[in-house]
Amino acid sequence: MTSGIVFDVKEFAIHDGPGIRTTVFLKGCPMSCMWCHNPEGQSRQIQVIWSPAGERLSGKEYTPNELATLLNQQVDILRANEGGITFSGGEPLLQTDFVIEVIELLDDVHILLDTSGCGQEQDFRRLVHRSDLVYFDLKLIDKEAHRHYTGCDNGLILENLYVLNEMGKPFVVRVPLVPGVTDTNQNLADIVQTVRGLSGLLQVELLPYNKAAGSKYQYAGMLFKPEYNESHELNLNTVAFEQANIKVIIV
Amino acid sequence: MNELLTAMKNRVRYGAHHAVRQDGPIDILTECETRQLSWPRRVACLVRRQCEAERVIIKPDERIVFTRTLPGVPPIYSTEKWAQLTGGQTLHELGPISNICADWNLLLSQGLLRRRQVALATHERLVDEPKAVEFINSAIETIDAVLRLAARYASKAREEGREKIADVLDNVPAHPAQTFHEALQSLRLCQAVVWLSGHYHVGLGRFDQYMWPFLSSDLQAGLLTVETAEELLAEFFISLNKDSDLYPGVQQGDNGQSLTLGGITPAGDSAVNELTRMVLRVSRDLALIDPKINLRISAQTDLDLLDLATELTRIGLGFPQYSNDDVIIPALVSHGYDLEDARDYVVAACWEFIIPGRGMEVVNIGAVSFPAAVDQAIREGLNAQDDFEGILDRVAKNIDEQVHQLGEAYSHLLLPPAPYYSVLMDGCLEQGKDLSEGLKYNNFGIHGACAANAADALAAVKQFIFVDRSISSSVLFSALKANFVGYEKIRRKLADEGPKVGNNDSFVDTLLVELFNDLAEACERFGRTHRGGFLRPGTGSAMFYIWLATGHVGMREPVVEATADGRLRGEPFSANLSPSLGVRIRGPISTLQSFAKIDYQRICNGGPITMELSDSVFRNPESIRKTAMLVRTFAQLGCQQLQLNSLNLETLLDARKHPENHKNLIVRVWGWSGYFCELAPEYQEQIIARHYFE
Repeated sequence: MTSGIVFDVKEFAIHDGPGIRTTVFLKGCPMSCMWCHNPEGQSRQIQVIWSPAGERLSGKEYTPNELATLLNQQVDILRANEGGITFSGGEPLLQTDFVIEVIELLDDVHILLDTSGCGQEQDFRRLVHRSDLVYFDLKLIDKEAHRHYTGCDNGLILENLYVLNEMGKPFVVRVPLVPGVTDTNQNLADIVQTVRGLSGLLQVELLPYNKAAGSKYQYAGMLFKPEYNESHELNLNTVAFEQANIKVIIV
Repeated sequence: MNELLTAMKNRVRYGAHHAVRQDGPIDILTECETRQLSWPRRVACLVRRQCEAERVIIKPDERIVFTRTLPGVPPIYSTEKWAQLTGGQTLHELGPISNICADWNLLLSQGLLRRRQVALATHERLVDEPKAVEFINSAIETIDAVLRLAARYASKAREEGREKIADVLDNVPAHPAQTFHEALQSLRLCQAVVWLSGHYHVGLGRFDQYMWPFLSSDLQAGLLTVETAEELLAEFFISLNKDSDLYPGVQQGDNGQSLTLGGITPAGDSAVNELTRMVLRVSRDLALIDPKINLRISAQTDLDLLDLATELTRIGLGFPQYSNDDVIIPALVSHGYDLEDARDYVVAACWEFIIPGRGMEVVNIGAVSFPAAVDQAIREGLNAQDDFEGILDRVAKNIDEQVHQLGEAYSHLLLPPAPYYSVLMDGCLEQGKDLSEGLKYNNFGIHGACAANAADALAAVKQFIFVDRSISSSVLFSALKANFVGYEKIRRKLADEGPKVGNNDSFVDTLLVELFNDLAEACERFGRTHRGGFLRPGTGSAMFYIWLATGHVGMREPVVEATADGRLRGEPFSANLSPSLGVRIRGPISTLQSFAKIDYQRICNGGPITMELSDSVFRNPESIRKTAMLVRTFAQLGCQQLQLNSLNLETLLDARKHPENHKNLIVRVWGWSGYFCELAPEYQEQIIARHYFE
């Protein structure tokens, strides 16, 4: 048994997929996006969070059995309400073995994988195989920009996107809109080019920038250094998607 | 909502009509004394004189009239005489009968003149029974007073060329209502006079049931469309907010003007109709705190109706409150209510289930302080080196004692005569018996307050003293005595690491269930009351979640010191059924699962699971539907009652700083909604400290 580190189990996560869902946030991420709104999800280590509400530990170690038992207590309710369990993070791919063991211990329930796609193809295939729906994040198509803003290469990500499509799983592409970074007409057009014609794509969801994230950094003892103007008006231009006949919504 | 209604609403909200109010209460005492009136006749005199002293106010745009101009209800006895009259007996709260529900259908289907005929027939039949005769004469005096008040309104309307209003008042409340408009006018006037007579928490009952026949026939006859009917309804709701600042309550807004929708009919069929939905829509569009909406649902309730109800939750009035028929009806039946009556239940001022026209119940005679029962047991038990079972035995004994004391105090309950309210009840005029002598159901309710904190305290003791033995009983005892000064580490351990109610953790939930079972047993052991009823145990906490922490003048219960759940002295408890403030909770599903474990077949007095959802939850139709599903889950899990609130924490914090910018900010307090900026600071603080599910 592989134990895992989870930084939150959130019930009634209404923005994390269909129906009533419980989302498991796995701790640790290979990326360090400049706009990350869950900075405590970046480090794999259990850490102290100092917030105005007091001090608390972020991250709890679970055996697959412990987590599955907890989740199974409400699987009936999630199933009865067209929902299920979402694995998010951090990045679930970093804890593939753990997540798979948990899924195998779960009663029959809809599984949604919320991933950046930044991981080994083999892990990605194994996790996608056990999921019913995938939320796949795409940030930037330009390689340099991607490396600059997220701290990692997008090669693996784009490859995994095609693996996902080829596996025949339904998926949603989610784009965090960061002012002047990911919301440029150029990047949006590049995204259209990238996802156009992918048969498993259900829709593209654009997630407007959330300014509240910044304050979380200091609580986690981290620095928030956005190289963009947080207050700049977002470009919500969806024309490129519509012209390509890609269903797009702003969440 | 059209401009006319918006303007009317704003006028009422900002009190433009306060200008017509009279300076002070009128003098009635002199007449009562000069004429040496008996108590029932004094009350009748009060009703008559209040009606006579009312000035007729008809505002330019309104179609449903009556604006109260008398600011208060004057005394009918001198202070000394009152003390003599009531000495050695218990008055419930302010004294006058409150928090019951009239049979409004009786008024609308019979009219006051028919009620008067019933009274006269009884008078003839019971002419040799002085008490009955006195009651009947008193009741007739009040009926005549209301009819004369209506006639004065009618003639003023006629004078001013307001023919429609005059026509309506020519027919009601004297005669049965013929139209939806007449029914609303009749209800408005007759309910307002109940308030004017000194009664309070005057509920509106199953509005969508007794009003529907009038609306339905108007719609069929083409007299009204859904749209024009909604405008009338909106006007009626606005009128219910006119005088509410004159109503007594612990805090402004606590007036118990509640209205119940949905559920099933006495025959067992679905009671939902177009008026059910109309009330939800109008209440949503008006965004006023009165009337307070309750919706009866079951596991089968259709999600479209729950969507509409969620849209009402979304605007942040703190209602509708949901009651689960699947659980409540069988519980009432097993407590001796006839099935047809149980199916006809309504929600009282806050939470309790009462039968309109047939219940003279005192649903909240007080609250058992679970934190006190538990805290005392823990301190004494630790001192006496009890095992955990020994502590639990002490808890049960303490609860039993508290119930016994409350029950005993109310064995001397004195209910003042209520001749006018009796006119609106089933059987009072028919039998020549005042409402205060009792109706078909005469039970008392007792709530178990602040259960989550108490269960958490027990769980912490069990876990740390008896299971892993990581805290010694002497250290805990000293820490509690010191209000944790010098014991911060211990306090953090108790607060952060102890098992907490609300996480579906059976270790602590079992203790929660046990507390309520102890309460149920104590009530059963108490047996019949002197009014022939029994004690109904419930799960509400009213203002006790503040008072037990801070103390309050005249409160019987002791102030609770620091508690073993890590709560400091003076910190408030959580309201009704909700997790303790400040503890880590996974979310609303686990919270529902925790509270679903309570045996609601025994604990049948009501008291809601109380949940705050961040307003971001209600962003789009999809998330509205998910919230509707959450409500359905509440019913499917077999919980009893749910109060779901939509709040924005930032807004609340800003309202503390800049109240002038948030005059219309409404919050649910315990069993009622009020304007946040009109609440005392301790109530504001407690709301800010609640759990917000995002």
